[in-house]
Amino acid sequence: MGEAIVITSGKGGVGKTTTTANLGTALALQGKKVCLVDTDIGLRNLDVVLGLENRIIYDLVDVIEGRCKAHQAIVRDKRVDEKLYLLPAAQTTDKNAVNPEQMKSLIDELKREYDYVLIDCPAGIEQGYRNAVAGADRAIVVTTPEISAVRDADRIIGLLEQEDIEPPRLIINRVRKKLMNNGDTLDINDITTHLSIDLLGIIVESDDVISSSNKGEPIVMDPNNKASLGYRNIARRILGESVPLMSLDDDHKGVLAKIKSLFSK
Amino acid sequence: MNKQLVHIKGTKEGLVLRLDDSCAYAELIEELKNRVSEGGIDNRVDVQLDIGYRFLTKEQKNDLVNVVEQSGKMHVSNVFSEVISIDESNELLLTSKRDTYIGIVRSGQIVKATGDIVIIGDVNPNGRVEAGGNIFVLGKLKGLVHAGFEGNQDAIIAASHFEPTHVYIADKMDVMSNEKPFVSQHMDQIFAYIDHNGFISYERLQEARNIRPSLTTVQGGS
Repeated sequence: MGEAIVITSGKGGVGKTTTTANLGTALALQGKKVCLVDTDIGLRNLDVVLGLENRIIYDLVDVIEGRCKAHQAIVRDKRVDEKLYLLPAAQTTDKNAVNPEQMKSLIDELKREYDYVLIDCPAGIEQGYRNAVAGADRAIVVTTPEISAVRDADRIIGLLEQEDIEPPRLIINRVRKKLMNNGDTLDINDITTHLSIDLLGIIVESDDVISSSNKGEPIVMDPNNKASLGYRNIARRILGESVPLMSLDDDHKGVLAKIKSLFSK
Repeated sequence: MNKQLVHIKGTKEGLVLRLDDSCAYAELIEELKNRVSEGGIDNRVDVQLDIGYRFLTKEQKNDLVNVVEQSGKMHVSNVFSEVISIDESNELLLTSKRDTYIGIVRSGQIVKATGDIVIIGDVNPNGRVEAGGNIFVLGKLKGLVHAGFEGNQDAIIAASHFEPTHVYIADKMDVMSNEKPFVSQHMDQIFAYIDHNGFISYERLQEARNIRPSLTTVQGGS
């Protein structure tokens, strides 16, 4: 029996879909069988980020309304062999086409087959959110170091605490070292004390995340990128390993400074 | 006449009319009318009514007060009674209750209490706490608080870290802004109360003992 994790944030544009795609890929690379479920009905784009858009035949609403079986709608990602799958959202209808009970039975069905079911939640706290949370065993809240995103994360955590699931955990996305070190954005400590939930990991801002999303290849495929490392670390923490938090201030030193620091030890 | 139904007593606080609580109500009214019209009082005086263990409705109490005040010489300042109705008692229980909320009052959440409330945790921005009595926050207060929402002007709001966006006490409201140097300079261990001018004021927690001595319910500390 697998585990269903909903990835949510309240606010839009903080990186829920990117996080879902990358975490799912990272878990699959670790050898787990993963199904990603896009619940953003009407505004789907997890398929685009994964580069699977043109392989969709049936979608989530087709499954729920009984027009096809779940395995017919699920698309396999060929890059991670036999491990990564996507159940795409419908694009031609809206969130009210599905209700939480239907979602729950669908997710329960998927949990029997997969090690992890990652549910990509739409922005907002309405029907789409309720659908996405219905089948989840635990939740991951994504925020950025912006005050508006943190406020919305606070709201969503309050709602998640009303649900019958484990306490949510936090990912701080798009961390910009320079701004944070200068005190121009909230720092990690500010955010975690304000929200007071467990920190699952941080993802540093990287232009490559955007370019790889546009190419339909999750950044986590690139083993040398710092954001990719962040996602891999989070995946390992989800699997129960204890991985120390990435340090924020080591890599804007030049080569010379690095050599210097070697000698000054 | 066999038994006096209305005793008039002089005390430090003024005249007290002690009304018999075992006779018939009509008899009592009659007797009271006679006694207060007897005269012997030159100036207008404040009197207090003590109705003992007789249960009277609000209307009946008003009738008694009217009877006394019709004499023109007496003004009723207070009515004492040893008994209250179950409704009144329940209301009293509710407003004297002290509730505890453990956890964080997050954005969009409302925590309500009929009496006092103790929040063990933070109140985050856009979180809201409403209480009929006082509000005590053992954490960071950064949201909106409304103490004494049924109109209790004596209610206070105390927090270990005091940084709310809005403060309401009874029907008074205060928006926190940079123009409150006392609050923005101290922030820690502050409480809000309505001062004698009717404005919401802020003081260090240590002053609460002097400003609202009635909040203390436990004797001792010596």
